[in-house]
Amino acid sequence: MAEDLLERAPDVLEKPRAAPVETLRRADEGLRLPAVAPPTTLPLEPPLVPQVGEQTRAVGLRAQRPDSRYHGLGLTRYIDDIALPGMLYAKIKRAGISSARIKRIDVSKAEAMPGVQAVLLGREIPLNLFGTSIVDQPLLVDEIVRHAGDGVAAVAAVTEQIAQAAIDAIEVEYEPLPGVYDPLEALQPDSPKVHGGDTNIYFKKLIRRGDVEKGFAQSYRVYENRYTTPGIEHAPMEPFTSIADWDANGRLTVYASIGRITLARVDLSKTLRIPISRVRVIGTIVGGNFGGKNEIRHEPVLALLSKKAGRPVKGRFTRVEEFIASTIRHPMIMDYKTGVTKEGKILARQIRMVLDGGAYCSFSETTLGKASILAPGPYAIENIHVEGCVVYTNKTTSGSMRGFGAPQVCFAYESQMDEIARDLGIDPIELRMKNFFREGSMSATGQVLHSVKVIESLQNAARKFGWEVRS
Amino acid sequence: MNVTLTVNGELRSASVPPETTLLVLLREHFMLTGAKTGCDIGDCGACTVIVDGKAVNACLMLAAQADGRTVVTIEGLATREGLHPLQQVFEETGALQCGFCGPGVIMTAKALLDENPSPSTQEIRTALAGNLCRCTGYVKMIDGVHEAAKMLQSTETPALAAPQQR
Repeated sequence: MAEDLLERAPDVLEKPRAAPVETLRRADEGLRLPAVAPPTTLPLEPPLVPQVGEQTRAVGLRAQRPDSRYHGLGLTRYIDDIALPGMLYAKIKRAGISSARIKRIDVSKAEAMPGVQAVLLGREIPLNLFGTSIVDQPLLVDEIVRHAGDGVAAVAAVTEQIAQAAIDAIEVEYEPLPGVYDPLEALQPDSPKVHGGDTNIYFKKLIRRGDVEKGFAQSYRVYENRYTTPGIEHAPMEPFTSIADWDANGRLTVYASIGRITLARVDLSKTLRIPISRVRVIGTIVGGNFGGKNEIRHEPVLALLSKKAGRPVKGRFTRVEEFIASTIRHPMIMDYKTGVTKEGKILARQIRMVLDGGAYCSFSETTLGKASILAPGPYAIENIHVEGCVVYTNKTTSGSMRGFGAPQVCFAYESQMDEIARDLGIDPIELRMKNFFREGSMSATGQVLHSVKVIESLQNAARKFGWEVRS
Repeated sequence: MNVTLTVNGELRSASVPPETTLLVLLREHFMLTGAKTGCDIGDCGACTVIVDGKAVNACLMLAAQADGRTVVTIEGLATREGLHPLQQVFEETGALQCGFCGPGVIMTAKALLDENPSPSTQEIRTALAGNLCRCTGYVKMIDGVHEAAKMLQSTETPALAAPQQR
């Protein structure tokens, strides 16, 4: 019967399937489930790597994922579909207050609750700090709460309900501290400092090319606009979930839908102070990442709960935790000042931007760097000045998300291009064509660009969406 | 408390705490992990199963409410003879990327096609309104439902027409 299916299945790519069909067929016959389709292979002749200017053969064909049959059958095993024998469920108590000092924390009621197997506080974690560039984020807060999603204690219990009841029974007394919630306010010298010290700025970036003041002086008109973008949660369909299993030999196995397994191993080894050779991380199939599953969140906490309880521990973020205790896209405030000639050629562009980094650093350094490099847009401009900084605020941490700052600046420079086009009475496409990078153009950072296809791309796109026939 | 229900054509029963949802019953007691826990509050539709012919969010229904009813999950669609047309089409068109929303989307679409064999695009959109996807988007899914509807109506694939009855 399995052969029937394989023969009946329409060959959507209309190409010979190169996989060992016979092998799969024999393996499948022993199973009750439908036969697994041989993986679609792209032709090796002519070579897959296209010649200069040649279209790749995959473009225009239907794309088929090798794992989509399992997805459709509901058989793909995501992290939450895994259960280990004797597994406990963990919950983390969230601060619920954005800026405070913990005066007292009482876990006695939670510990006494039947079904509760382990309770963990921040001070029990060997190194209660992690981070990808600045190591500033505690796993469970000991003293200073810096945003409402900070964890203050964790519980592992035999059921999720008991774990939640235990979390609710934990008493925490806070002394509220002044907080700062606006990135521009955070720049002020008298603003509360999220991490102490004398400034909330934790990274700066400066890119200069040519002389913007000279460019503005030669310009026919100078436009100044402010653009702001909000924070965005990745909101993957699969909530952040992990299982930690600390075995009797002192070896730790973590199952997690983390995209960067090696980084997770390093962070686990550092925070738990155990050799990396004792840490195994098994990456499961990811139910949506978008940059939000790039670093550890609660894995060391689960590991220590597992060590205390002697049983595997699973932790799954609720949808609310996904929004408050994971990371989000950096909210940005961008000031664009652009000088143009009467014909619309950009002579100078000055950009100043402030990124709201939230309570901890996470991937802010990367995001600021990429946003700054890409801020002038795909335009050949002689005089450029980009100045960016990222600041701490008492809000959800901003981290990596698709594009690392590039979509924010794209929104800003393209919005301003439209405003310039409208004001000068030039067609918006024509204005872009006049300024686009060309073969051999130099970017703001001094990179000489090759294979520049931006003009052809926009021409093609404009033709396809019917730009000439617009009303 | 004891609950007894028909799941994918088989009579199943379990003794569960009263607060158990249908989703937990299916995933943790019957080991049918195809329906997913996405939000647990009825927003995302990743847990969609068919109860007595209607697509429901399994996270919002108590196991006790499903007592005596007939439940079809994603695991009940394919047979040894073949995939359900929706599964086949979703696979071929690449409608599923990470796949986490897939089982829910397919079950919602199946409930729609069972009731309305040739839905309009708007009807498909309305039916899928409760199923969120963050990767691929909805265009390929809507196209896929149209294609599956055509396949279900053609007489050439009788084996695929009613695969959930073993």
